[in-house]
Amino acid sequence: MPKKNLLNAVVALFLLMLVLSWFFHGSGVVHNDLKRNIYIPETLTLPLQVKAAYNGDKMFFRYRWSAKQPHIYHDMMKFQGGKWERYGKSVPGPQPQGIYEDRMTMLVDDGSVPEFEKYGGYITIGDRMRFFTNEAKKEEVEAHPYLGKQKKQVEVGKHLPETRANVGDWKSVVPEVQLKAQRQAGYFLDLWHWRAHRSSPIGKSDDQVIAEARYGDEGKGPFFDNWDKDKKQPKLMFDAAKVGKTALNWDDLANRKLGFDDLYYLREDQAKPYDPNHAWKEGDTLPRRVLRLGEGSRADISVQGQARWKDGYWDVTLVRAMDTGHPLDDKAFVDNRVYSVAFGVHRDAFGSRWHLVSLPKRLGLNRQADFTAARFEGAEPKWEQDWYNVTLFYPGQVSWPLLTSARHAGAENIKKGIPVRARHSEVQLAHYGVEMEFYDEIRKQWLYTLLAGVLLIVGFGIALNLLLGKKEK
Amino acid sequence: MAPYHHLMVHFPIALWTVAALIIILRALSDGALARNAAAVLTPLLVLGVLTGAIAYLIGLSVFPYEAISSSPLGRNKLIAATWALAYWALLAITVWRLGDAVWEGAKRWVMLLLGVLGGGLLTVAGALGGHLSGTPSAVSQLFRLLGWEVYTTFYVPNFMLVLLVIAAIVLAGLGLVGRRS
Repeated sequence: MPKKNLLNAVVALFLLMLVLSWFFHGSGVVHNDLKRNIYIPETLTLPLQVKAAYNGDKMFFRYRWSAKQPHIYHDMMKFQGGKWERYGKSVPGPQPQGIYEDRMTMLVDDGSVPEFEKYGGYITIGDRMRFFTNEAKKEEVEAHPYLGKQKKQVEVGKHLPETRANVGDWKSVVPEVQLKAQRQAGYFLDLWHWRAHRSSPIGKSDDQVIAEARYGDEGKGPFFDNWDKDKKQPKLMFDAAKVGKTALNWDDLANRKLGFDDLYYLREDQAKPYDPNHAWKEGDTLPRRVLRLGEGSRADISVQGQARWKDGYWDVTLVRAMDTGHPLDDKAFVDNRVYSVAFGVHRDAFGSRWHLVSLPKRLGLNRQADFTAARFEGAEPKWEQDWYNVTLFYPGQVSWPLLTSARHAGAENIKKGIPVRARHSEVQLAHYGVEMEFYDEIRKQWLYTLLAGVLLIVGFGIALNLLLGKKEK
Repeated sequence: MAPYHHLMVHFPIALWTVAALIIILRALSDGALARNAAAVLTPLLVLGVLTGAIAYLIGLSVFPYEAISSSPLGRNKLIAATWALAYWALLAITVWRLGDAVWEGAKRWVMLLLGVLGGGLLTVAGALGGHLSGTPSAVSQLFRLLGWEVYTTFYVPNFMLVLLVIAAIVLAGLGLVGRRS
C-alpha cells in the first residue's frame, strides 16, 4: 500500500478513536444496583421556591415545587391470601407501587451550630448512614448501649459531628452528660418535617430535632404505627359508623382514584379497634399509620390552609409560633436576627436518602440575608413578596467523614472555614454525589482510560514518524 | 505548591499556543513569514514539553494523589494534562526528527490537523485548571454543548478500552508496514 494511503489510514483511525471515545465516554459504569442501595434519580436538580413571613407571634414558610403527580398514599396493608401484606415501606429508589408520600423538610439553626451555615445538611451525614451502601446493620445499632438500648434507634440517621468522639465512627457517641450540655447550649438543628400523608391531611406537620440522632420533639407525634407486633394484625380499622367503610380498596389506591377530598388516611378519631373476625375480603386495605393531632413540642407546626398539588406544583405553607417555649427542641425566631435554613424535597415515591436538598441559605428577619421574611400585621400573610428561588440537588452518598478526610481535596478549605457555596455549585455537587456511589469503579475506569489514551498517542506518534518521511538533508 | 504550578503553567501554555499558531500558519502558507516562524518551531515545542513536564510534576504535588484522583474535576484535569503533555511531546519529536519534510505535499494537512487537535487539548487542560483553582471560565459550557459535563469523570467503557489498545497496536503496525514499503 502506498505510504500516502497508509498515512491517511493512520490519521483516520486516530480520529475515529477520538470520536468514539467522545461518543461513548461516561458509559458502562453508572447503573442502578438496589442490592448496594444505589438508585440514581433521573432528575438530579429541582427548583424550589420559598417565601417566609412573620407577625411577631407566628412564623410562616411557604414552599412551591414541581412534581409530576402528588404522592399522598403511604405505608398500606393489603389483605391478600388471608393475611395483611405491607406496601409502602422505605426501599432503595422509588416505592414500586408508588405508595410513598411526598415530603418537604427544612433544617433551621440560629448560629449555635456554626458549621451548618457553611455546609448545611452535609454535616448531618455521618458514618455508615441508613441506606448507604455500607450502612450499619440493624442489629449493630440495636446493640449500641446508648443509641440502641436506651434510645431505641434501629438505624444510623442524621446526627451532628460533635455528638461523636470520632466523626468517622457512628458508635463513638460522647457521654450522655455531654450530649445534654450540647443540647442546652443549642447544639442541635430544628427540623420541620411536612409529610403529604402522615399528618398533612389533618393539618399538621411533624416537628423534629437533629442532635446525636434524629428524634421527634418531646410530646406525641402526629401519627403512630397501626400494627400490633404481638398479635400480628392491625391495631385499628376504619369505623364504618363514622366514615361509611371499614377499609380502603386496593384498586382505588393502585389506580390513584383517591384524591385530596377523599378518604385515603386513617384518623384516630375515625377508627375503632381492629376486628379479626370481620369478613375481610381480598384487596381490603388499611393504612399502616394512624393520624392524630399530637401533643407538646412535637405538635408545634401546623399546615396553614390546605397543602395541595395543582397543575404540576405543590403549594405548602407551614406555620409555627416564633417562640414555641421549647428551647431544647426548637429554634426560636427573633426579630432582627439571621438564621440558616436548608431545604429538602421527597417526591416521585422516593423515600429515605433519595431526596433533593439545598445548600444552606441565610434567612433574615428584618436583616439582610439570602432571603428575608416579610413582617406583616394580622393573622395571615398576603405573600406579596417575590419567591426566593433555591436549587435542590441529589446529594448521593457523600458524608461528613468523607468531606473532612484526605479523599476530599477541599478538606483543607473546610478546616479554614470556607463555605461550600464558595467552591461548588449545586449541579457540580449532584454529579459528585452520583460519582461517589461508584467511587472504586469510576476511579479504576478513569485510570485505564488515561493509560489507553497515552498508548494511543504513542502508537499514533510511532506511525507518524515512520510515515511522514525523513528529515531533508 | 499551587502558586508555583500556576506560575509554571504559563510557559507551556504560551509556548504550545504559539506553536499551534505557527503550525496552522505554516500548513496554510509557504510565505517567508510562515517559513521563518516554522524555523523556531522545534525549540518552541521542546521548551514547551520541558516546561510542561515541570508544571505537570509540580501540579501533582498540589493535592495528594488520593484527593485529586477522588475528585471528578481532579481526574479530568489529570487525564487532560497527561494527554496534552504526551501529545505535544509526540509533536515535538515528530517536528524535530522530520524537519521541513512534514510540510511537503499533503503532509501539511496532517500537521494542520495535529496543530488544531493540540490546541484543543491545551484548551481542555487549561479550562479544567481554571475550575480547580476556583476560577471557572465559560469554556466548560462549550464542552457541555458538545456532550461532556466537566463535573463528571471522563472515562470510556471496557469495549472502548480494548478498541483503543488495538488501535494503538494497529497504528504502530501501519507505521512499520509503511517504513518497509
